Amino acid sequence: MLLAVSRRVTTRMEKFRYDDAIVRKFAFATIIWGLVGTLAGLWVALLMVMPALSFDLPYLTFGRLRPLHTNAAIFAFAGNAVFAAVYYSSQRLLKARMFSDKLSAVHFWGWQAIIVAAAITLPLGFTQGKEYAELEWPIDIAIAVVWVIFAINFFGTIAKRRERHLYVAIWFYIATIVAVAALHIFNRLSGTPGPMKSYSPYAGGRDAFMQWWYGHNAVAFFLTTPFLGLMYYFLPKAANRPVFSYRLSILHFWSIVFLYIWAGPHHLHYTALPEWASTLGMVFSVMLWMPSWGGMINGLLTLRGAWNKVARDPVLKFFVVGVTFYGMSTFEGPMLSIKSVNALSHYNDWTIAHVHSGALGWNGFMTFGLLYWLTPKLFQTKLWSKKLAEVHFWVGTLGILFYIVAIYAAGITQGLMWRAFDDTGRLAYPDFVETVVRIVPMYWVRVLGGTMFVTGVVLCLVNMVMTWKARPKTYADPEHEAAALGEDLEPTPRVEIPAHATSLQLAYKLRYLGDLAWHRVWEKRPFTFTIWVVIAVAVASLFEIIPTFLIRSNVPSIASVHPYTPLELAGRDIYLAEGCYNCHSQMVRPIRSETERYGEYSKPGEFVYDHPFQWGSRRIGPDLHRVGGKYPHLWHVRHMEEPSSTTPGSLMPRYPWMLSDDLDFSVIQSRVDAMAMLGVPYPDAVQGQAEPLARAQAKQVADEITTQGGPQGLEDKKIVALVAYLQRLGTDIKTASAPTQPNSLLAEKAGAR
Amino acid sequence: MRLSDIMSAMQLSGWAELALILFLAAFVAVAFQLFSPKRRAEYQRRGQLPLEGDMDEAETSEGKP
Repeated sequence: MLLAVSRRVTTRMEKFRYDDAIVRKFAFATIIWGLVGTLAGLWVALLMVMPALSFDLPYLTFGRLRPLHTNAAIFAFAGNAVFAAVYYSSQRLLKARMFSDKLSAVHFWGWQAIIVAAAITLPLGFTQGKEYAELEWPIDIAIAVVWVIFAINFFGTIAKRRERHLYVAIWFYIATIVAVAALHIFNRLSGTPGPMKSYSPYAGGRDAFMQWWYGHNAVAFFLTTPFLGLMYYFLPKAANRPVFSYRLSILHFWSIVFLYIWAGPHHLHYTALPEWASTLGMVFSVMLWMPSWGGMINGLLTLRGAWNKVARDPVLKFFVVGVTFYGMSTFEGPMLSIKSVNALSHYNDWTIAHVHSGALGWNGFMTFGLLYWLTPKLFQTKLWSKKLAEVHFWVGTLGILFYIVAIYAAGITQGLMWRAFDDTGRLAYPDFVETVVRIVPMYWVRVLGGTMFVTGVVLCLVNMVMTWKARPKTYADPEHEAAALGEDLEPTPRVEIPAHATSLQLAYKLRYLGDLAWHRVWEKRPFTFTIWVVIAVAVASLFEIIPTFLIRSNVPSIASVHPYTPLELAGRDIYLAEGCYNCHSQMVRPIRSETERYGEYSKPGEFVYDHPFQWGSRRIGPDLHRVGGKYPHLWHVRHMEEPSSTTPGSLMPRYPWMLSDDLDFSVIQSRVDAMAMLGVPYPDAVQGQAEPLARAQAKQVADEITTQGGPQGLEDKKIVALVAYLQRLGTDIKTASAPTQPNSLLAEKAGAR
Repeated sequence: MRLSDIMSAMQLSGWAELALILFLAAFVAVAFQLFSPKRRAEYQRRGQLPLEGDMDEAETSEGKP
C-alpha cells in the first residue's frame, strides 16, 4: 500500500482592510426602516380599533397599509439587519474585504430604492395580491437584480478568502442567498397586462401551494437562516466564548435546510389543497421542532459560565431573549401545524400572535442585540448610553408580552366563538361581528404593547445617532494580515490501493465514508457546497411541487365553473388592489361550524380561474366565498359606503370613493387578454369585446341597484364592478352546468364560438 | 402519454416515504461524521473561528476599555 501525500504550503502573507462603511450604512438603514415598519404596524393596529383613522382615504386603509407594514418589517427592517450582519461577519470570518465596494454600494442603494418603491406603490394599490409577495413585477425584477448583485459580491468574497474553512454562519448565509433567489423567482412569475399590473400564472390551489411554499420559506430563509448565521457569529462574539457545540450547529444547519422547505402546506390545512400535501406539510413541520430546539439550546448554552455577563450587558440580554423567542416560536409553529390545532388557530389572531412572537422577539431582539454590539465598533467610540439600551430592553420585552398575550387571548377567544354551538345545535354566535366586538378590548392592549415596542425602537435610534455623533473625526482603518490560501493547504491524504485488493478497497471506502471526509472537502469547496444546498432545497421542493402541479385528480373540474366576466374581473382587480384578502378569506373549510355559518365548503375546482388565489389567512371580517347572492346589490353599495350602516360594530373602513371613482373600462380588454394568455378559456368572441361586455353588465347591475332603491348613475363607477364580482363569488356550483345571468354574457359568446 | 398521466397513476404516499428515507439517510450520515470522537478537536477549532478576529472585538457594548 502506498501513502502519497502531496503538500504544497503557501506562506505568503497578504494585507487587507475591512469595509465597515457599508456595514454602517446597513445598520442605520435597519433602525430607520425598523421605525417605519413598526410605526406602520402601530398604525394598522390603531385602525383595528378606530377604523375612522383611515380618514376616508384609500391610501390609509388597513387593506393597503398592512402589506406596507409586513413588507417594511420583513424586507426593510430584518433585511437590512441581515445585510449588516452578513457584511460585517463574512469579512471577518473569511479574512477578506468584500469582493467589490461598488457592488456593495449598488446592493445598498438598490435595496433602499426597492423599499421606497414599495412604500409608494403599496398605498397606491399596486399589488399582486399575495401575502409578502405583493410588490408588482417591475419591483420584483429590481429585487432579483439586486439579489444577484448581493450574491456575486458574497460569493466573490468567498472566492478570495484567506480562511480555508467556512464557519457555519457562512453556510447559513449561503442557504439564504440561494433559497431566497429560488423562492422569489418561482413565486413571482407573472403575466403582465400593463406596467404595474400582473397576474400569477398559477391558479387556485396550485397558486395557494406555490404562495405558501414561498411564504413559509420566506420565514425559513429570510427570517430564520440568516438570523441563525447572525446568532452563531455574534452571540459567541458578545459572550467572548465559542459556540457551545459546533457539531450541533452543523446538524442544525442540514436539518433546517432539508426540513423547512416541506412545511409550507401547513398554512393550507382543511382548504381545497390535496390532503396528502397537507399531511406532508404537517409531518415535516413537526419534525422541524427538534433541529430548531437544537439550535436554540446551542445558542443558550453558549452562555454557560457567562450568565453573569448577561446581567451586565444589554447586548446579551437582547440575544438571550431573542433566542428564547426562537425556541418558543419553533415549538409553537410545529404545534400549530397539527391539523386539529390548526382547525382552531387558523384565520384568527392566534397566528398573528405566533408571527409576532417570532418577528418581534426573535428577529427584533436579535437585530437590536446586533445593533448595540455593532454600534460602538462601527463608530469607534463607547455606546452613548448603556442605560438607555437597558431601558429599551425592558420596554421592548414588556411591549412584546403585552402584544402577544392579548392577541393570543383574542385569537383563542374568537376561534372558540366561531365553533361554539348552543344546546339546540345551532351556532352560538351566528352573527360574525359578535365575535369581533368581543376581542376589541384586546386590540387596545395590542396598541399599548405596540407603542412600547416602537418606543424601544426610537430609543435605539437615539442611542445610535448619539454614538455616531461622538465618533472620531476620521475612522481608524486598521490593516490586517493573513496568509493567502494555497491551492492545497490542508490536503486530504490519498491512499492508493492495488486494484486486486478488493477487500482493502472496500475497507478504505467504508473508512472514508465513516470519516465523512467528503464533508470536509465540501467545506473547502464552497461552490460544491452551495450546489448541494441547492439540491437539498430543490429535491424537497420538487417532491411536493411536481405532484401538486401534475396530478390532475388534485383539482377535479366542475362543469359549471366558468371564467369571470370582464366586469367581474375588473371587480376582482379592485378587490386585489384594496387588499381585501388581508381581512377576508375565500375558503369555507369542511368543518361543520363553517358550513353552518357560510354554506357549502369550498371545492378545488371552484378556483381554477383564480389568478391569483384569494383564500386569505385571516378573518377580521367574515369569509366571502359564498357571499354571492347572499345580499342584494344595494346591501353591498351601502356596506361599502358606510359599513356600520349594515353591520353595526364592524371594523371595516368606509370606502366612499367606490361610489364616486370612475371605473377604467379601457384596461379591461388587456386584463382579459392577460388571463387568456395564462390559460383561462375566454371564448374568441370576447376578444376585442371585453369593454362593451363590461359596460353592458355594468349597466345591468347599476339598474338593479336603482331598482332596489339605491342611487342612480353608478354604471361607470368602481362599485358596480366590485358588486358584480362579490355577487359572483361561490355561486357557480349552485347553478346547472349552463351559467345564468350575468355569466350568460360570456356563455352566449362561448355558444357563438 | 403525458407526464401528468404518469404522475396521476403513481402512488403519492411513496413520495413522502422516499423523502423521509432520504432525509434520515442524510441525517444519520452527517450525525455519524459529526459525533465521531476523532473529529472532536477539529470541530472545537472551527468553533473558535469567530473569536480569531481583531483583538478589539472582544469587548461588548460597554465600549472600549
